[in-house]
Amino acid sequence: MAHQKKNRNVGIIGIGQTKHSSHREDVNQPELIHEAVSLALKDANLTMKDIDCVVHGNMELFEMVHSPDLWHVLGTGAYGKDSIRITTGGTVGATLSCASDNLVASGMYDIVMAIGFEKLQEGHTTGGITNMACPLWFRKIQAGALTGSSAYDVEREFGLERADRASLMYRIIMDKHASLNPNAHRAFGLDFSQIDDLIRTSPKLVGELKLIEMCSQSDGACCVIYACEKKAKELSKIPVWIRDHITVHKEENFTIFGYDRKYPVLKTHKFAAEQLFKRNGINDPLNYFDVFEMYDPATWWAIDWIRDFFNLQGDEHLRLIEEKEIMIGGKMPINPSGGVIGSNPIGATALVRVAEAALQVRGNAGPHQIPTPVNHALASGFGGTMWTVMTMLEKELNW
Amino acid sequence: MAEYWGVKVEDIFNTMKDRFRPEGAKDVDAVFGYDIAGEGKWKLTVKNNAMTLEKADQLSGCIATMSADGETFVGVNTGKVDATNAFMSGKFKVEGDMGAFGKTGKLFRKFVLAKKEMTTKEYLADMFATIVPRFKAREAEGLEASFGFDLGGPDGGKWTVFIKDKVCTVTETIEGKPTVTLEFNDARDYVDFILGKIDAQSILAAGKASAKGDINMMASKWPILFEKYKDPMAGAVQEQELLVLKKTISLNEKFSTGPIMGKFLKGLKEKKIFANRCPECGRLQLPPREVCAECRVRAGEFVEVGPKGEVRYMDVVYYAMPDPLTGVARETPYGSIFIRLDGCKGNETLPHFIRKDQIEKIQRGWNEKKGTRVRPVWEEKRIGDIWDIKYFEIDE
Repeated sequence: MAHQKKNRNVGIIGIGQTKHSSHREDVNQPELIHEAVSLALKDANLTMKDIDCVVHGNMELFEMVHSPDLWHVLGTGAYGKDSIRITTGGTVGATLSCASDNLVASGMYDIVMAIGFEKLQEGHTTGGITNMACPLWFRKIQAGALTGSSAYDVEREFGLERADRASLMYRIIMDKHASLNPNAHRAFGLDFSQIDDLIRTSPKLVGELKLIEMCSQSDGACCVIYACEKKAKELSKIPVWIRDHITVHKEENFTIFGYDRKYPVLKTHKFAAEQLFKRNGINDPLNYFDVFEMYDPATWWAIDWIRDFFNLQGDEHLRLIEEKEIMIGGKMPINPSGGVIGSNPIGATALVRVAEAALQVRGNAGPHQIPTPVNHALASGFGGTMWTVMTMLEKELNW
Repeated sequence: MAEYWGVKVEDIFNTMKDRFRPEGAKDVDAVFGYDIAGEGKWKLTVKNNAMTLEKADQLSGCIATMSADGETFVGVNTGKVDATNAFMSGKFKVEGDMGAFGKTGKLFRKFVLAKKEMTTKEYLADMFATIVPRFKAREAEGLEASFGFDLGGPDGGKWTVFIKDKVCTVTETIEGKPTVTLEFNDARDYVDFILGKIDAQSILAAGKASAKGDINMMASKWPILFEKYKDPMAGAVQEQELLVLKKTISLNEKFSTGPIMGKFLKGLKEKKIFANRCPECGRLQLPPREVCAECRVRAGEFVEVGPKGEVRYMDVVYYAMPDPLTGVARETPYGSIFIRLDGCKGNETLPHFIRKDQIEKIQRGWNEKKGTRVRPVWEEKRIGDIWDIKYFEIDE
């Protein structure tokens, strides 16, 4: 499906993010949001007067607050403005970005602010995820978002030892990245010398999925400001252009990840990436992109999904990890921010991917900035029963 | 032995007996090991709602053993080190039965840093040392007065507080004739009075103290001239306005099944499992659904499948996830299985649970490889619910 930019180009001109943490008892929800909003406005050198529309989102009822956008107006600054609430599960942050892009590109608004937020310590995350399942029967059987099926798959394909080591290698690379990112929630200071020890001692959660391999529950908020091309050029020295985005949802289904490659289920990451790259004429995404902010809730999914996103063959994806090519300074740096496995305030998480990718393009991400030029960046979101959102960012308007 | 935040590793162990909560030990019958690098090893035995602790040379026979360095161990127990961080990053390890070790969390009250007590002498020294900083010069416009304190008893002493030209000075004697002099038989009563533990009336009525001279100057003017004395020990517990409001909610829910799910659930009541077939792609949906989401056509034809089948995949769940419907953590480990019932193919599987004692025996299917054959175990009284099947068990 052809997908040319609609009426006009859209650029990211402001980015704000809180420190992600499991200890934000010092602020309530609007106050947490306000931190991110203030930082984004400051970053863009704007005030709320300049914002035409606010797009607000988080996980539905994870904090057990109905219509949170009403109460959050104190923090979002949406009072008296057009305001839209979006909630699409784990992908919500990415959907906020897509919606903001669409709202500006359509000509409806010149400047739109997207706010993704979550305060997971205040509600019941496992309960929230379980309640996403069909209330007529599956809720009673499901429990949260944990599964060992991907670990089982990778182990059967590449052997237990290689799989375990790749998983921990990925985890430690993410921790090394998170240690550079002052906003990251978990930065343990892990070292590659701990791989064998952690394989042995990290408690198993489900199947072969170990505690160290799973993301945490974080509190945090992220705010990104989008402007039309004219305004973006006027207001920002370094706008980051949104080239394209794609959303693919799979039918609601219980064999989410599949467990038998002979009967494959639709892999939406692979499907979305193929469509997106094809319609943008990108034949070799691994070479084209300079950074990838990937939604990686667990190491096993991350390993498997690298293969899907870049359409890799055989054990190419494992070698990228084993040869540390996904590290800052490597061939395809993945999650210089430390990724979802480092911080997961769910409603903000997928927006953080876009924000962090944009920071890399701007070249001022901070201590976790990639040292070489970043011209093309990719961000992904994941949620629901295997849903995908992908966003492409560019430094120049020359595609 | 090294100290961390003023606490030794041994302090944590030595207080275990006092902190032990028998009510938290109801279902515990086990020996736990603690291996603190450079400090030693301890064995904790919990049985019959009681505990014993011994230092040990080796930790064999323990159901679970935790190991950490002294700093991490003290830090986690005193709240100075984030326990989750320490645990996830491997600084605080547990080997053996993780689930069993989790129960030690309920065995003890939290370790609280012993508060250092201040003596009467220390209090008096602090009270008079802080008089000048507590003096409010703006309230002393045009005032010239002196306040004598004659405090008896073994810890007592004498002080005079002078105020002149909006300046306050203190001497450790009684000089001249103060405007007013406060006399206490025992300095301890004065300390308690200032700390608000006893009131002036009861001291005066009991004849424990008296005031000589311009009593009004002491009673009315003193409280205006000086900030209230703050107890440094009370200050150790930081007062703040941050609160966390805790709520537990319980809501009633009811959901209409519609005719398709209704047929499936009613089937369970009659020990039958129904799927429905897509007229276009021919796949079976289990449970049945109104349309085939892939072909977007109405799926009408019901097919009875199973009730026996083979396990294609099993997740062994170790993490004690709370069941959001009941708030109770499911007993771990349990086996969450995907069963391909007879009559189904490919990914047409039904998720359910396996009988708890059979987890170890389950073989997962993979491509042509067959998985373990299982059959449903039905509830006596069925109501049209997925739990009309209690669980699946091996079909031998």
